Amino acid sequence: MIKHQVYISPNEVKVDGKALAHNEKGSALLTELYRNNIGDYPKFFKMDTLSKLGFIASELLLNIEGNRSFEPREDRAVILFNKNASLQADTHYQSTIQDPEHFFPSPAAFVYTLPNIVTGEIAIRNKYFGETSFIVIDDYDEQIIMKNLDIAFQDPVTTSIIGGWVDCSDEEHFEARIFLIEK
Amino acid sequence: MDELIYTLKQQIIEALNLEDMKPEDIDENASLFGEGLGLDSIDALELIVMMEKNYGIKLQDPAKGKEIFKSVAVMADFIAKNRTK
Amino acid sequence: MIVCVAHNIISPLGSTSAENYAAVKAGMSALRKYDGLWGLPEPFVASLIDRNKFTDQRYTIDEQVVIASISKALDQTNIDVTSSKVLFIISTTKGNVFLLDKREAGFPQERVRLGMMARQVTKHFGNPNEPIVVSNACISGVCAQIEAMRYLESGEYDYVIVCGVDVQSAFIVSGFQSFKALSPDECKPFDANRQGLNLGDAAATIIYTKKDKVNDNEWVACRGAIRNDANHISGPSRTGEGSLRALRIVLGDIEPEKIAFINAHGTATLYNDEMESIAIERAGLAGVPVNSLKGYYGHTMGAAGVLETIISMQAVDDHNILGTRGFETLGVTHQIDVSNQNRATEKRAFIKLLSGFGGCNAALLMAKGGLQ
Repeated sequence: MIKHQVYISPNEVKVDGKALAHNEKGSALLTELYRNNIGDYPKFFKMDTLSKLGFIASELLLNIEGNRSFEPREDRAVILFNKNASLQADTHYQSTIQDPEHFFPSPAAFVYTLPNIVTGEIAIRNKYFGETSFIVIDDYDEQIIMKNLDIAFQDPVTTSIIGGWVDCSDEEHFEARIFLIEK
Repeated sequence: MDELIYTLKQQIIEALNLEDMKPEDIDENASLFGEGLGLDSIDALELIVMMEKNYGIKLQDPAKGKEIFKSVAVMADFIAKNRTK
Repeated sequence: MIVCVAHNIISPLGSTSAENYAAVKAGMSALRKYDGLWGLPEPFVASLIDRNKFTDQRYTIDEQVVIASISKALDQTNIDVTSSKVLFIISTTKGNVFLLDKREAGFPQERVRLGMMARQVTKHFGNPNEPIVVSNACISGVCAQIEAMRYLESGEYDYVIVCGVDVQSAFIVSGFQSFKALSPDECKPFDANRQGLNLGDAAATIIYTKKDKVNDNEWVACRGAIRNDANHISGPSRTGEGSLRALRIVLGDIEPEKIAFINAHGTATLYNDEMESIAIERAGLAGVPVNSLKGYYGHTMGAAGVLETIISMQAVDDHNILGTRGFETLGVTHQIDVSNQNRATEKRAFIKLLSGFGGCNAALLMAKGGLQ
């Protein structure tokens, strides 16, 4: 059962279908949302765009769920999907190694060159010891996503899932559509 | 040395994405890791890259980094003695 | 029950599972030092596939090894791969990432997309379904098998073809070098003098189906679990939280005595091996032999979970616990049972354990003939 949902694009933010007012667009929108809704998590600024997007979307989702205790739990899974995997982070990392005359591979950039890192950021923030996973499909497909989240409840402990689409091709082009689903 | 320390603070802020900090906010004698700025293992690795990029100093052993990155002042001292750029 | 019907490994050690197992049993490895390869300034040790053997211009090297591996697995079956009741699940961390290098020509940029890469594969085989790509860092290969189990349990498909792949490149090697995670020599899992990991190429395939009854020789994927450390995005939990929880789930109420061995992640980094020893002991499994295959193949990333499961099945079939190549003396704080020698066993179940960036950990319990 879908309990809550959040939608974020470079121009629009909706929580449970209701538009959230904002002044900025694109990457500036993500920073604005961070300052207005979180503000006390400086690690945010180390994240790549995909992780920022997923992190903020999850914060809005969990804020609307309410009762944020940050108590450790194992029964909530974080399962996200997209089309571009970690492309923005990959492109950024590639730029640190592209030129043999200026070859300085960046570990801070490299660590984000895996799409599942965003699920790790959410798990760390919320003390979720449950399942975290990331799946890539070449087009947004709600049927595939919902089926996959449904069968995720086969895990003997999982009763709740933060799941959905979190995609980003570069810093200014992204989209998140995530759900809080209870068994 | 003061100029190097100030520049170093700016470079650390940039390299480690310490978005809401200004050089004035960093105490050059405070510990960078643990308390102080609370930097982690990835930050330490990134500082090693920064040292090579900006000052031409290659640190092969990350364990050495712990001593050198004790504070901005210690870092500046090490850079002044070892820089090739 | 979820049953393995066929499998294959394509790696520098061979192009069939049997060839690979024989090489590993004999203590062989394709790990060697490369200096100046791909323009990288720092030398590195890796186990690399001979790219000259894969010359189909239509496909990238990743796609070619996947197609080759799946083909060889399918040849062992009568599966109609064009059926909509067959699902492809690809497991990879970086796929065609080498295409991001501006010096690479020959393929459109869109092939960097993992879904596009996977679609080349399904198109090649004429399968009508959208492929699922699991990209969950180094645990992808076990995750993909867990996904297969779930899809088959749901009845949506008759067969699921799981193929794990990763092919090394300047992108990946330089990244691990920036982490100072690579060993200057051949890796030494769980050893007191371990200095980090080696990297490797591989593609490995397992085809699963669901059956009500199995015979004594059929391999059953009994239970799988994925759990997060909730600690740090690149460093494992110092207390092995995620690994421990995954182990507990797959163990259930089975006696540890039934487990022939735990095939650990055993990447030979200081932190990973230490963490696994903690998790294994906390799970009450300190008496179960532990091994790592990274000394034969290096870390094959997206392929690891599938490749290492296959080798482990072959080992049990051969009544053997494979030695951990590169290991000499135990260098972790918790007493786990590691050896560099092959040892005999009559037990018929093993656990595959993995960990990955992002704090994720996965465990898979496999039993020959199912759990009794």
